[in-house]
Amino acid sequence: MTTTTLPPITLPPSTHEFADVVHRLEAGGSMLPDTPENLMQIIGIYKAYAVPMDFYWRDLLYIAERVFLNPLPAFKYFLPQEYLDLPNHYAGEHADLRIWRGEATAHPELLEFMKTGEMKQKLPRLFHHLWHDRINMEFAEACMRAMFWHRGMGGQFDPYLDSAEYKANADRAIRAYFQGNPVMLGLYQLFPEMFLEQVRQLSYYANLGLFWEVMAPVFFEMSDLYDEGKITTVPEAMNFLVNGIFAIAGRPIYHHVYIRGECYEIIPKSKGFMWLYEAALPYVEAVFYRTSPFRGTKSYNAQAKQVPDNQADFHYGILYADVFPVGSAGIPPTLLMQDMLHFLPPYLVDYYKQHCRGEDDMLIQLGISFQRSMYNVTSAVIQALRTALLYPLDDPNPRHLMANRQFFEGQLDRFKRPEARLRDIQRQNYR
Amino acid sequence: MLSTLIWFPFLGAIAIALLPPRPLKLVALAISGFVLLWNVWIVTQFDSTTPLLQLQEYLPWLETLGLNYQLGVDGLSLPLLLLNSLLTWIAIYSSQEQTERPRLFYSLILLVSGAVAGALLAQNLLLFFLFYEVELVPFYLLISIWGGEKCNYAAMKFLLYTALSGALILLAFLGLVWLQGAGSFAYEAAMGDTLPLWIQLVLLGLVLVGFGIKIPLVPLHTWLPDTYVAASAPVAILLGGVLAKLGAYGIFRFGLGLFPMAWANLAPVLATWATVSVLYGATVAIAQKDIKRMVAYSSIGHMGYILLGGSALTALSLVGAIAQMVAHGLILAILFHLVGVIETKVGTRELDVLNGLMNPIRGLPLVSALLILGGMASAGIPGLVGFVSEFLVFQGSYAVFPLQTLLCVVGTGLTAVYFVILLNRTCFGKLDNAIAYFPKVEWRERVPALILAIIIFFLGIQPAWLVRWSESTSTLMVAAATPSLTQPALAQAAQIAKVQK
Repeated sequence: MTTTTLPPITLPPSTHEFADVVHRLEAGGSMLPDTPENLMQIIGIYKAYAVPMDFYWRDLLYIAERVFLNPLPAFKYFLPQEYLDLPNHYAGEHADLRIWRGEATAHPELLEFMKTGEMKQKLPRLFHHLWHDRINMEFAEACMRAMFWHRGMGGQFDPYLDSAEYKANADRAIRAYFQGNPVMLGLYQLFPEMFLEQVRQLSYYANLGLFWEVMAPVFFEMSDLYDEGKITTVPEAMNFLVNGIFAIAGRPIYHHVYIRGECYEIIPKSKGFMWLYEAALPYVEAVFYRTSPFRGTKSYNAQAKQVPDNQADFHYGILYADVFPVGSAGIPPTLLMQDMLHFLPPYLVDYYKQHCRGEDDMLIQLGISFQRSMYNVTSAVIQALRTALLYPLDDPNPRHLMANRQFFEGQLDRFKRPEARLRDIQRQNYR
Repeated sequence: MLSTLIWFPFLGAIAIALLPPRPLKLVALAISGFVLLWNVWIVTQFDSTTPLLQLQEYLPWLETLGLNYQLGVDGLSLPLLLLNSLLTWIAIYSSQEQTERPRLFYSLILLVSGAVAGALLAQNLLLFFLFYEVELVPFYLLISIWGGEKCNYAAMKFLLYTALSGALILLAFLGLVWLQGAGSFAYEAAMGDTLPLWIQLVLLGLVLVGFGIKIPLVPLHTWLPDTYVAASAPVAILLGGVLAKLGAYGIFRFGLGLFPMAWANLAPVLATWATVSVLYGATVAIAQKDIKRMVAYSSIGHMGYILLGGSALTALSLVGAIAQMVAHGLILAILFHLVGVIETKVGTRELDVLNGLMNPIRGLPLVSALLILGGMASAGIPGLVGFVSEFLVFQGSYAVFPLQTLLCVVGTGLTAVYFVILLNRTCFGKLDNAIAYFPKVEWRERVPALILAIIIFFLGIQPAWLVRWSESTSTLMVAAATPSLTQPALAQAAQIAKVQK
């Protein structure tokens, strides 16, 4: 456990339940205590997360842009080479903004895994797919659905999906896609809203794909910097994220569809939807905080009032999740843990072997590391919002500092709920 | 041949006391394993078609006292001998690697094994009594030295109760021989059917209370929950799996065997007593919060089925009662072993604390699965050994004591109730990750339960392997008490079915 140095100001100590965390945030720190062990865990997990994420964003874009309204998208997870080669805009020599110093195409570890899978044996791709020896895109889709289902989490992107302009754009794309298919066109005439809703969902595919296109190189670079000894503390890791957020904030969020070689701009770049407000913040709210009650690691009983009436009051995200799987079906966090397990850096594998049940419960241990790392990402978002909307941490005006504190305390109020894991991650032996 | 089952463990106990501490468990396992294999070999030599004593051994000893070294095996003792040697091996295997004072621990277990085998094989009342008393002190030490909380209290209670049990049994034996004027304590010389009925009833009463303490039957049971709970898992396995069966064996061998007419007269009372035990054990088990105590009370209930089968006095019910002794021994052993593993790993036996042990990664999934199997077997779910024995008891008893049998069937339902409570709270639900840092269950800790589970399952689907050894003997014992019924058990079943139609 770390001791945080309070900033040299005159504010009285916070009386908030999480006063230590408030003081740490005021000192420019993270909700996660600054210990070498925490740093190693979160950086290792960022790297393990970034490799499957490199697949997620490519496939999300592939589905949004190419698979589109295919009524039987059985092969939507079979990513074509074109999308594996798709250059990441934030990596490689020709990047718009080079965040990661590696290559812009798919990560080498990802390509290696896609060839032979966990079985380390090259089999027809369908076999790997059916055996679930692959990247579990179901997790990415679950995140996308969480964003789409909650909707209305700020920004202009979501309201735009209900606009006449959007509908007109979608209509053009739908008619083009089903050109020469009287059955589907007939169905579209009968149930236009159903098709539109499907296109809205595909727009969220694009939204999340574009969001993760940024995050994957950010995490890769953090891992490399850690390996080079250039990130040595948790606040440094958080600040790298904060700086990244501001550097990328203006990245356009759009939805293009390619039908018979022609590009249909369902959400054109010219709308000016920005990465920070239209993708990052809704993503954090929908996936880190809310998600949905049947997505986690236990089934909730709505009749027993375990599911709130108000959808906005949902708190089932990774910041609240109990990562113990109970063996029920379709658990995306478990699938993500499985994905990350394939790409853990050796130092993290060695670390997990030393604790709890070693290799036998590595999935849970890395799930909890993931939870710590997402608290750090959330801290970065909170600090970024404070930077954007409030005052510097070293502002000489006490009223400004008090406004900062009220903001931090307001954010931490969301973790007063008994199921929130903020208390747990303060302990190093929470594994 | 039979003496090996007694003296090899005794000599092994002495040898272990002299060996260096390192390989003690291995040596104890080898000795008990040899005894188990020897027992299996005896089973191959046993002719299940004859009800008479087999493989007899005789050595004159103190003939003036009527005490001779007489051994023999029949269909009543053979399954229990096998159960004794199997559970001894299981108890030694399931003991902790770092057991304190291992020399004494393993020596005492082997002493218990030899003494129980001696009691089961003895064909002389005094010889039986000697072996019966020999196991008393080792058990006392096993409970008081290696027991848990309140072990001294529990051990002392056990000692007092079982000493009283021994005194009553000795009184019955002496009364029988003296009143008959028999010159020997040999079983065949001590048959009590020539005595007036009222004397038979008094002596039978002494036998029933004496062995009723050992089983135990309500209201003689109060030592059991404390003792079973205080004892370590291996000792609890022997207490529940072996010692309690010795009590049931004694009731049948000496109650039914020596006083058949009195037994037949007393049968309705015995059936009612059995029913009370069943219902009391089950209802009290439902109220328990400690899973070991719950299993202990379940034992009281299940021993009641044995008495019901014996009191009905049909060959089928008696075969079922003997089968129930074996089945209950196996089931109790697996349950106590698993409860011991849970306590070791989780650190508690409290139902209100335990939860979600079925969790595949951080829980004890295989232990939980086997606990479910044990619970199902205990509740008499078809396909498992508990069903076979309970079904035989009920089928054989219903025609004679329909009301008591039906109430015992209700007891089976209550068994299902408390096992559902136990399994639901212990195995299912959400594992709390604030406490779930349990050590991993090693394979060596799973092996005893896996072996028992295989046997429970095998005998459940192949019940002939369970009942064929005792069919002739039980038919003979029933014939002695009710001369009109002399057919084999299966023929009786057909007759009962015919009567019911």
